[in-house]
Amino acid sequence: MISALVEILLFQGLGELATHFFLPFIPGPVIGLVLLVGFLAFRKGVNASLDELATAFSRHFGLLFVPAAVGVVMFWPHLKTHAIAIVAALVASVVLTIAVTALVLKGLSRGSGK
Amino acid sequence: MIGQVTAGFPNIHEIWVYLSGSPLLALILTLGAYQLGVIAYERANRHPLANPVLIAIVLVAATITLIDMPYPKYFEGAQFVHFLLGTATVSLAVPIYKGLGALRGRIVPLLAALLAGGVTSIVSAVGIARLLGADAAITGGFIAKSVTAPIAMGIAERIGVSPTLTAVFAVSTGILGAVLARFVLDFVRSREWWQRGFAIGVAAHGLGTSRAFSVNPEAGAYASLAMGMHGVLGAVLIPLGARILGF
Repeated sequence: MISALVEILLFQGLGELATHFFLPFIPGPVIGLVLLVGFLAFRKGVNASLDELATAFSRHFGLLFVPAAVGVVMFWPHLKTHAIAIVAALVASVVLTIAVTALVLKGLSRGSGK
Repeated sequence: MIGQVTAGFPNIHEIWVYLSGSPLLALILTLGAYQLGVIAYERANRHPLANPVLIAIVLVAATITLIDMPYPKYFEGAQFVHFLLGTATVSLAVPIYKGLGALRGRIVPLLAALLAGGVTSIVSAVGIARLLGADAAITGGFIAKSVTAPIAMGIAERIGVSPTLTAVFAVSTGILGAVLARFVLDFVRSREWWQRGFAIGVAAHGLGTSRAFSVNPEAGAYASLAMGMHGVLGAVLIPLGARILGF
């Protein structure tokens, strides 16, 4: 597990450096992620330790964005004023996104003679 | 002086002052609330509405409001949890790498669907909210909401909108997607599991993905792939788009 943590922190560091010096508009961790995918493809496999760590992170991903999301208390009065607009936008947007994605997939895979 | 020190148990106020000066209080609060959320989620048979993250956010927000703890002070302690967000994002490389095989032979329809879905997500949310009178501070939070929350917050920072609102809208979107996806997919007569899974993953990232896995493993694998692709492409294209369109 520790070796995997070192590996991930190294790639995170590489990503941060890349975003700082070359690609300021892409978040550093995403660059680290892409580099790690490339590295895994090069090494042709995921070792057990890395797999274990990734599973642990993915199981409790949600915990990690609680501190930032709690900042919603500072927006509270503002959100209350626009509650209807927010709820309508969230619901309609998720319904439309699912529908459009599914319809495009259906249309295109029918075209390819499946 | 000595009498005071040996006078037994320190009073509540003293304990309070001591604890609130260290990161410990914020950490206990954050992890404790999340643990309660997880317990509630298990009790509710993992129903998407009993989302542990949402429960934790509500509990922590209510508690710090009640005890008059300013948010920046809470964050000062909770930042240790927050820091791991970047590390966890990098670890998404593992499921993405494992999912790459599912791309084979389907890369064109999957990419096209992802782009169409991603654009729909942004345009519909921002458009509807603006139409109903929401201002730029709020509509900004909608831009990355269909991207998995940790990446969405990174995107929000890059394009100068609130990461907090983005995270809250992303979690809400995930919950709504997990609840509504089945009905929407039946309505548009999507029948293949891989297509259903992918559509959920594009719209509702992690929460949609875990819902998809609980229904069908193929749907889950494609939802996970969609979440990863949306995260990576979103992180590149959304800031680029924002720069070109100048918002």
